[in-house]
Amino acid sequence: MSDQVKETDKTVFAVLAEYDNPAKLMKAAKLVNRAGYTKFDAHSPFPIHGMDDAMGLKESKLGWIVLSHALVGFSGGLALQVWASSIAYPINIGGRPFANIPAYVPVTFELTILLSAFAAVFGMFFLNNLPKLHNNLFNSDNFNRVTDDKFFISIETEDGMYSEEETMKFLEGTGASHIEKVYE
Amino acid sequence: MAQTKLTDNVQLPESANPSRVIIAVGVVGVLASLVGVVVNYEQFLHSYLTSFSFFISLSLASLFLVMIHHITRSSWGTTLRRIPETFSSYLWVFALLFIPILLGMSTLYEWVGDLEGRNVFYQNLAEYKSPYLNTPFFILRNVIYFGIWGYLGYTLYKNSIKMDETGDWGIDTMFRKISAPGIFFFGFTLAFASFDWIMSLRFDWFSTMFGVYYFAMSFQAIMAVLIVMILWLRGKGLLLNTITRAHINDLGLWMFAFTVFYAYITFSQFFLIYYANIPEATLFYYVRMEGNWQYVFYATIFGRFVIPFIVLLNKSAKANYKVLSTISVIIIVSHVVEIFWLVMPSLHDSLTFHWLDVATFLALAGIFMWLFFFHFKKNSMVPKNDPKLIESLNKH
Repeated sequence: MSDQVKETDKTVFAVLAEYDNPAKLMKAAKLVNRAGYTKFDAHSPFPIHGMDDAMGLKESKLGWIVLSHALVGFSGGLALQVWASSIAYPINIGGRPFANIPAYVPVTFELTILLSAFAAVFGMFFLNNLPKLHNNLFNSDNFNRVTDDKFFISIETEDGMYSEEETMKFLEGTGASHIEKVYE
Repeated sequence: MAQTKLTDNVQLPESANPSRVIIAVGVVGVLASLVGVVVNYEQFLHSYLTSFSFFISLSLASLFLVMIHHITRSSWGTTLRRIPETFSSYLWVFALLFIPILLGMSTLYEWVGDLEGRNVFYQNLAEYKSPYLNTPFFILRNVIYFGIWGYLGYTLYKNSIKMDETGDWGIDTMFRKISAPGIFFFGFTLAFASFDWIMSLRFDWFSTMFGVYYFAMSFQAIMAVLIVMILWLRGKGLLLNTITRAHINDLGLWMFAFTVFYAYITFSQFFLIYYANIPEATLFYYVRMEGNWQYVFYATIFGRFVIPFIVLLNKSAKANYKVLSTISVIIIVSHVVEIFWLVMPSLHDSLTFHWLDVATFLALAGIFMWLFFFHFKKNSMVPKNDPKLIESLNKH
């Protein structure tokens, strides 16, 4: 009785399928991707080589974020020094030219690296939706074993292709050992 | 697709062997160089030193790559290891090729003579440096260098061949036992050799970074050479399933990494000298950044750092064979040009080309490549019984 109340009260967040080994997970990820699902994710205790391709993930945009910040750091660092020592307050240092490019390299380099590093770290946070205090998948007890010895695929209900019966039936066909609904 | 054994033909077929062309080029080069010895001895020596420093740098960088590969027990490059192994196997031949430089020492290096007619400062400086810069010690040092390199290169190659034949995996342990002290001695000998050959062309100048500078140049260039070699082999339809996209991609990564390393080292050397602005240190760059030489200087900056860095920054560029081979060729050419720029200003105040530059280059290119293919066709192109071979084959 109480179980039924629970089911009607809460909305389903995702369907979670459990697999026994990485090879099965990989195969299932390929099938889910090929079936056309987009809002799905694969979970495993360790990185699996070739998973990106199996899931059909596009190349990360992180590189472009880092590059744009690197260019800002590069031109900003250079511009700051050129402006300060050749326009705002020119000082003659040992007869060197006021816009003394070789001398500006270390600071320009440092600023480029600094902004790239920031962009890489915070850009990664942003792209991964971090920090995230809670993920609905943690509502499933079985899911705890994802850090130990089980492999999972979750398909979110927000996916355009999602329909409860068909999705669960589909996942059964991918070799899952256990399928459950995860509630919000 | 998992591979469990080698599927390619590992023997270089006679049809792919370019030895005839190489011999023809080499003979032309050697004959022209011999004419040069008579016509313009001083120019010959400088051109020869340039070409010599270029080709031995490839062998030395190969030796280092093989040794670092052994002591880290890497598997990524096991399938392509035979190429650098072969390059370094005939390092002992360079001892013979060094004889012309020893014979021409008094013409090539100012410190050999007694500096009569030069001002007192130089005479005193030469006197001060004579405990290191004197002819017997110079010869002795070079004997030691070639002894160590020749031994390391030949032993590592010979035993790798032995493993091909016997399949004895115990040899793998021996590789590490040779490589660990080998790297130690390699570092010192390479640094001092570059001091002796190139830096002492002007005995009044010194840079403690010169050794690592020469190494950085060489190691960047060897990656480019390996990429060109492997793509050439692929063009002939060889080792297609053995040296795969994954291996070439890794070489591209290495080339990119050492492009940055090269820039870092080169700029560090330049920057310290530039900023301190001490006359005895700046004279090296003073000559090389004046007149026509400055264009060579800027060309190498672009050829070895700016262009490869920007192009290889993109991930897909490192997987694109056309881009990789183009950049590799640019780097190799820049390597030649940079060594030319290091050696030649000691003879010419402004940039001058001489036909002997080409002649000595062809002569040594002929000898170098002939030796390579002589060994490469005789034995398997892949260390076929190596314990890490399967792991390397399945790299992705």
